[in-house]
Amino acid sequence: MNRKLIIRILGAILCIEAAAMIPSLVISFIHRDGDTAALALSLAACAFLGCPMLCFVKTDKNVHLRLKEGFIITALGWILLSLFGALPFLFSGVLPRFEDAFFEAVSGFTTTGASVVTEFEGFPRGVMFWRASTHWVGGMGVLVLTLALLPKLTGRSAHLVKAESPGPSLSKLVPKTGATAKILYTIYFALTLAEFVTLMLLGLNPYDAAIHAMATAGTGGFSNYGASVAAFSSVPVEMAVAFFMFLFGINFALYYRFFIGEHFKAFFKDEEFRWYLAIAVSAILAVSLINLSFYQGDFWTSLRYSVFTICSTMSTTGFVVLDYSVWPAASLMIVVLIMFVGSCAGSTAGGIKVIRINMIAKLSRRNIRATGQPKKMEVIRIDGKAVEEGILSQVAQFALMYVALWLLGAFIMSFDGRYDLLTHLTASLTCISNVGPGLGAVGPAYNFAGYGILAKVTGAFLMLFGRLELLPMFILFTRSAWHKY
Amino acid sequence: MRIIVIGAGKVGYALAEHLIAEEHDVIVIDKDDDVISRCSGSLDALCLKGNGANAKILLEAGVEKANIVIASTENDETNMLACLISKRLGAQYTIARIRDPEFNESQMLLQNELGIDVAINPERATALEISRLLRYPFAGSIESFAKGQVEMVEFKAAQQDPFVGIPIKIISSEVPSMPRVLYAVIERNNQVIIPDGDFIIQAGDRVFVSADMLKITDYFRFLGRNRQKIRSVMVLGGGRISYYLSRLIIPMGIHVTLFEINPEKARTLSELLPKVDVILGDGTDEDLIEEQGLSQMDAFISLSNRDEENLISGMHASRCGVPKVIVKNSRMSHLDILSDLGLDSVISPQFITCSTILRYVRARENSNGTKIERLYRLVDGKAEAMEFIAMKGDAYIGIPLKDLVIRQGMLVAVIVRQGKVIVPFGNDHIEAGDHVVIIACESGVSDLNEVIYR
Repeated sequence: MNRKLIIRILGAILCIEAAAMIPSLVISFIHRDGDTAALALSLAACAFLGCPMLCFVKTDKNVHLRLKEGFIITALGWILLSLFGALPFLFSGVLPRFEDAFFEAVSGFTTTGASVVTEFEGFPRGVMFWRASTHWVGGMGVLVLTLALLPKLTGRSAHLVKAESPGPSLSKLVPKTGATAKILYTIYFALTLAEFVTLMLLGLNPYDAAIHAMATAGTGGFSNYGASVAAFSSVPVEMAVAFFMFLFGINFALYYRFFIGEHFKAFFKDEEFRWYLAIAVSAILAVSLINLSFYQGDFWTSLRYSVFTICSTMSTTGFVVLDYSVWPAASLMIVVLIMFVGSCAGSTAGGIKVIRINMIAKLSRRNIRATGQPKKMEVIRIDGKAVEEGILSQVAQFALMYVALWLLGAFIMSFDGRYDLLTHLTASLTCISNVGPGLGAVGPAYNFAGYGILAKVTGAFLMLFGRLELLPMFILFTRSAWHKY
Repeated sequence: MRIIVIGAGKVGYALAEHLIAEEHDVIVIDKDDDVISRCSGSLDALCLKGNGANAKILLEAGVEKANIVIASTENDETNMLACLISKRLGAQYTIARIRDPEFNESQMLLQNELGIDVAINPERATALEISRLLRYPFAGSIESFAKGQVEMVEFKAAQQDPFVGIPIKIISSEVPSMPRVLYAVIERNNQVIIPDGDFIIQAGDRVFVSADMLKITDYFRFLGRNRQKIRSVMVLGGGRISYYLSRLIIPMGIHVTLFEINPEKARTLSELLPKVDVILGDGTDEDLIEEQGLSQMDAFISLSNRDEENLISGMHASRCGVPKVIVKNSRMSHLDILSDLGLDSVISPQFITCSTILRYVRARENSNGTKIERLYRLVDGKAEAMEFIAMKGDAYIGIPLKDLVIRQGMLVAVIVRQGKVIVPFGNDHIEAGDHVVIIACESGVSDLNEVIYR
């Protein structure tokens, strides 16, 4: 194993984390909520550990990163990122227990948005800003950011992006991985800025607008208000946030194609986007019709809540405008199913991903047809192109492992003993899909603060498994990962 | 530059690897899923699955913006078609690997009609390389620049050579009768050194000397190396390389004995090459080749399709006392290990194809951007030779070289003035319009003014 290279890249991650803390530190200076020291200390910890790792460890230029190492760096990098990301919460005293701070940081970086914070009044604003920044850094991926900034750090960098980017196969925009990473971050930044400006125009103050823009961009869902987006009680703000949540669930490659001259054709030509749109629209319509009687026949109110909730759940953001756990069971079932699906590959969202659901649907159809005509050769196509059989079987296995891990997570959480089965099942699901709110005691009106340490640690790891799409995390638990060769 | 490589076999893959290392944007197209998944893991390139002669795939690869399209699939027709389509779709420059001799005969026509700017025939290029090695049997490698007027020859310094053990700057005064050549590069213990005047060459060093062809011949005659002139050659395997090679070396007065195991092939060869002794039989059969006089041969060239066979036969010939042994090895890796086995010359058609194509790409690159006319890779890429044109008004014009500063680790190797080759010494100067060849260990120089100044 190429330890020096691993150490250098982990060092780069810490340096980037230190840089990401700078805006929060500046904000804490401006607002003087007494969290400046905590942020400065955390920043120093990242920088003092990260810089020597990056600058003083010499790596041989001819040694290439191996596939296994790419996965290990990704998994270790994310754990390291979360451990150091927890420091501001710990040092400032808002979350004095380590498991709480770690849970909050993991939830931030994996863009889950499940929180253990109960008291929003008097929460220091610098740390609050850091909480939202973690969404932004984690959304597009910290290794992608590393490669955008330091493309020469390692050869064969495709292994890193592959391990971190969501989706069954990596789609590059331009030949060079480093340049691809730069383009992705440019689009990401531009979209975030667009939302920031939109929210400002709708009357939010710059601080609230920045926090909600970052939380939407990463499809995270941390708000600086206990009531989440409902705190603004403004329909235009809700609709703007819902629209941007939907946008951040789209594959970023499509934006690139949009900008290089394909315009809206880029979106509608893409099969995954068409499925994404179709699922979102039908779920919204179904939920608003089911809820019609619940809202005494007021279709527009029903539609408004349905649009926000479905966009929020499908993009795995987890902002809320109402406690929807009181909705009819059929609507809740739709919300839970949407949690599994998630958004598009190559976006900042979690879940199984629409493209995989699409492939699984086609695979099932083929299997059903094959029972009648076993000799018939049938190729599965996406966007008119044949999909490799190897990828199909990987996708099917991914879905199986996803469900198995979800149930295993719920099983471990159920030992907590405090809550009912619905809570455990949805808590596990909301963690692995990086959504945020579940149902029951972790429903939209509550959060994970009531859980014990076992459930919190389980939840944190489920989030990491979900964000990194299982395999990089699983590989850490294999013996061969730690072999010297 | 944006370069599309079609077909990621041995040559295509190595090309892509080199081009990426030189910071080009590379797009690889191959029709095989496994090849594509291997490439996308290990190459920093955009990898597309599909047929390279398919316009849709080429458009997806952005052929209209491509500076160069290199078609290196195993199939000649695919390569030609890919170049034709690419050119029509707007690619600037196309390079195709075309190996069938039938196509070679109408090469000019094909190139003009199909929009192929360069057609590379790997077998012919390999045969050419071998024939050059046979011309200078003591040489490990031969490189030519300035349109072939200047040659750089690599050989091993021996204890009795008069230049061994004295500083380079006094060689000409110590041994005045020896023709003056330039000691351009020395390779010692795998380290490449650009020697200055105080450098002392030791026995066992790999020395690269350069001068014009005539002077080089004189030089080696003086050293007594050219006594081992090659008059008879044994070739194992009757493939295309053997055919091209025979056609090249028979006019040089070399007698060729060729082994081919397939009766039909052997018959065709003897039909096409009346002066060659074509022997029907297995060239790895020790008795048979001994029967044909292996130990009396001046050179043994093993060109069968199996690398292992070539290596074993080559080592056997070497042990039988054949002075020059050349073996073909189709893998591009492990070349350094093979030279440890005592085989003087290991050639790989893939390597030759790859470096030939790279040379065109670099020439192309230099024509837009830097002032380098041409760039050559020496000593497995550890050193470079750059050809510049001296510009009117530059600071170094007209001043003797001994009065100028030449950047550390660099050397003015050759000046070509109106077709005349000058191997420069302290009193020579550069005039405007001269082609100047600079040899350097490091790359990254783009202007002659950065190399020579007052």
